[in-house]
Amino acid sequence: MRFDAEAQAALDTAVARGASYADVRFGVVRDEHIEVRNGVVNGFSDSESAGFSVRAIVDGAWGFASSANAERKEIDRIAALAVEVARASATVKAHGIELMPAGKHTGEYRTPVQVDPATIPTGERVKYLMDVEADIRGARGVTVGRAWMDIWRTTKEFANTEGSRIAQELLQCGSACEALAVGENDVQDRLFPGTCGLYQTGGYEIIQKADLPGNARRIGEEAVALLTADLCPSGTMDVVLSGDQVSLQIHESIGHALELDRVLGWEANFSGTSFATLDKLGSFRYGSPLVTVVCDMTCPLAFATHGYDDEGTPASSIDLIRDGILVGYMAGRDTAMDAGVKLCGCVRAEYWGRLPMIRIGNVNLQPGTTPSAELFDGIRNGVYMESNRSWSIDDKRLNFQFGCQLGYEIKNGKKGKMLKNPTYAGMTPKFWGSCDAIGDRNSWTAWGTPNCGKGEPMQTARSSQGAAPTRFRDVEVGVVGYAR
Amino acid sequence: MRADLAAERAAADAVLDAALRDSTADETEAIVMAQDYALSRIMGNTIHENIIERNRTLSVRAVIGKRVGVATSNELDAAGIRTLVKRACEIARLSPADDEFPGLPTSGPATAEMEFAYDEATASTTAAERAAAVAKIVRVMVKHEIDAAGYVSTSAGSVAIANSKGIRQFFRSTDSAINIKAMSADSSGYAEGHARRFADLDANALATTAAQKAVAGRTPGAVDPGEYTVILEPPAVREFLGYLSWTGFGAMPFAEGASFMSGHIGERVMGPNVTIADDFAHPLGDGMPFDFEGVTRRPVTLVEQGIARDVVYDSYYAAKLKHANTGHALPAPNTYGPLPLNVVVSPGQKSAAQLVAETKRGLLVSRTWYIRLVDKLQTIITGMTRDGFFLIEDGRITRGLRNMRFNESIVGALGRCELAKDLVRSENHVVPACRIEGFHFSSGTTF
Repeated sequence: MRFDAEAQAALDTAVARGASYADVRFGVVRDEHIEVRNGVVNGFSDSESAGFSVRAIVDGAWGFASSANAERKEIDRIAALAVEVARASATVKAHGIELMPAGKHTGEYRTPVQVDPATIPTGERVKYLMDVEADIRGARGVTVGRAWMDIWRTTKEFANTEGSRIAQELLQCGSACEALAVGENDVQDRLFPGTCGLYQTGGYEIIQKADLPGNARRIGEEAVALLTADLCPSGTMDVVLSGDQVSLQIHESIGHALELDRVLGWEANFSGTSFATLDKLGSFRYGSPLVTVVCDMTCPLAFATHGYDDEGTPASSIDLIRDGILVGYMAGRDTAMDAGVKLCGCVRAEYWGRLPMIRIGNVNLQPGTTPSAELFDGIRNGVYMESNRSWSIDDKRLNFQFGCQLGYEIKNGKKGKMLKNPTYAGMTPKFWGSCDAIGDRNSWTAWGTPNCGKGEPMQTARSSQGAAPTRFRDVEVGVVGYAR
Repeated sequence: MRADLAAERAAADAVLDAALRDSTADETEAIVMAQDYALSRIMGNTIHENIIERNRTLSVRAVIGKRVGVATSNELDAAGIRTLVKRACEIARLSPADDEFPGLPTSGPATAEMEFAYDEATASTTAAERAAAVAKIVRVMVKHEIDAAGYVSTSAGSVAIANSKGIRQFFRSTDSAINIKAMSADSSGYAEGHARRFADLDANALATTAAQKAVAGRTPGAVDPGEYTVILEPPAVREFLGYLSWTGFGAMPFAEGASFMSGHIGERVMGPNVTIADDFAHPLGDGMPFDFEGVTRRPVTLVEQGIARDVVYDSYYAAKLKHANTGHALPAPNTYGPLPLNVVVSPGQKSAAQLVAETKRGLLVSRTWYIRLVDKLQTIITGMTRDGFFLIEDGRITRGLRNMRFNESIVGALGRCELAKDLVRSENHVVPACRIEGFHFSSGTTF
């Protein structure tokens, strides 16, 4: 490891100052973002940040400190400061921290990459986005066209007082395009692919396979068509959601609900808690028997895949919901003991300078057996909805209301006319309990979410939810706002 | 403990000078942002997270003809600055020209001195002092036999900006916050405080407010979905105004026709009692006197007595729309356009208590959660109540309620509202409590 000596110095200082446990992370993150809007590159940035952080336990309480300056003197200062902070924490402590044993791990991990983005000339990447965006505005009536790509390179090293030494190089890429059409008293937008683009781990091949050029004109035309489309009706009816919308539904109503820190109240004042309390583990019916959900931090291509998390736990897969029953949580070493659950390596920090916390990893709804073309079968009166445009859920993750960009009516098993402003609402267990068909493996995608927010100070994380198009029965469709 | 003002400014100037000197671009802008941030977070009357973060970054915007590139790094030694500037210039050369780019701004009116924005005691607050404030909160909770979640934070930061056309600005400030969610088994209550000086926050008083709400909300009842008179407390009003700022008060959505203000300047959009401005210098606020291009901020009246007056601009949109630059640029590259960051809502005549006392039947909302736009032009949002939702009967708060989901137009609601007279800072905005008639709740929940 590049920072072996510095890491040991930080750990030695923390222990000498009284820490019973300490870990240290050194990191370098580089973010590249290129965005085109109406024929102009309005966002072209390259950001690099390096530094380190120390986490320490003193008297059963946590302390954390970070700095961008990795000189030896500063390393000592930060390690000592982490201990001082932990000591202050210990003065207000109703109960102490106990870490789940995670073993001693030495290893390296590197994201599998087919095409290194560095081999694609920057000018070529810009032209790609310019062409995509121009094609969006080729659709008559589009007011704003946008196209963008992101590349994140993360190098990090981890060491702790239990002897773990881990080095990782992660590469995450994504791209999207969007059309905005402004009409009289109405604004409609369409984004492709999915709700926020296609974001996965890997190289430039992730951006290539998103196929923005093959879909740009279509989404422009759809945005314009939505201005004159009929309003989505209100009522109780069957709904088929696109895979990307199911991904968001998983993120909000399963992913966050099964973060153990939320369940234990650690996020109570901000992100909230969870209805899925510990007493429900092993017996609570979360969804229909078709609903099986895992957190698989090893899932190929998925956006959160890595070798180890930011407290040194190796990546693995655990069951969260099995055949509709709640069976697990995403946990960290300091929360797992309370619930008696397994670790899967989902504790992550936004970057080297932030405190690691439980984050939604790769939370996958396992594919079903229904070919996606057959999901409309048996629906007499329903709505198909695609690509989210608004999402809201309460702070226990029960009462939700989601809106989508594009809808189509479903009449007697057939796709009907286009509908605008489709929305649906429900309560989490009832909604997942109404799931009666899940698309098969061929329609399943690991959809990345690049902007999940949690914690104070707020940290952004990159999560993933694998999903296929899915059918739900007797859903409340439409919101009162449109009826006023 | 931070360096003294002169030393901190000199250190920032040295980085800015090096960046401008190293650049081969036609025009160059450099921004140094430094921050020390500390936060002690509580759960179950225990400090479960406790952090101190320090970072300093340099961002360089290089302009070659009409081509623009931005690069950012926190490696601020001579070699790091050279590498960063070179990268920004490379990006600019690779960018297609933006024919509407007006060039970097030049210096304008003098910038206000805001020495009061920095408080050394706040900058020097130790982990032990934050823990002492947490301990005060916990003592109140223990007295009421409930738990606290929340945080106590202190920070100190500076922004230094220079460009090759003569702009040079420096500003440093401190900030602090206390956020408390008091929790019983079946209720919760919320209180928050924000101030540039940590000493101005009263942990004990805030904890008492939150605790009393949690106690009063025990054994919550329920009301049916429908239209109600509501009293929104300042944190809820701030969340509404924050959304309105993002979607409607910036020049970019305004120019694209995607703002509720588009095409309506000079027309009535809200009630005649509503005046909304952006004012960086409001004494309760946390504003800075220039924007992220170094341009002096101007106070902007956005809505005056219900009439749409103006939106905010940066140099790009000022040139594009032939309007004065109001000094509201965000850091480049900025894909959101200019935004108002210090919204101030003018106060009404009555106290919040009077608004409650005059309400025959209504609902009091302490805080909202997970607001999202349902319709941009109609400014319809959906969201949930949270941490203190009460029934008002005959002018008195009579019981706690289970939380509910609302769907409501922000602009529509501000057309049938009465504002309270006391202004409070909530996050970065300054707002009063507000009573709204006919506020629509669409569903309930079980807690």
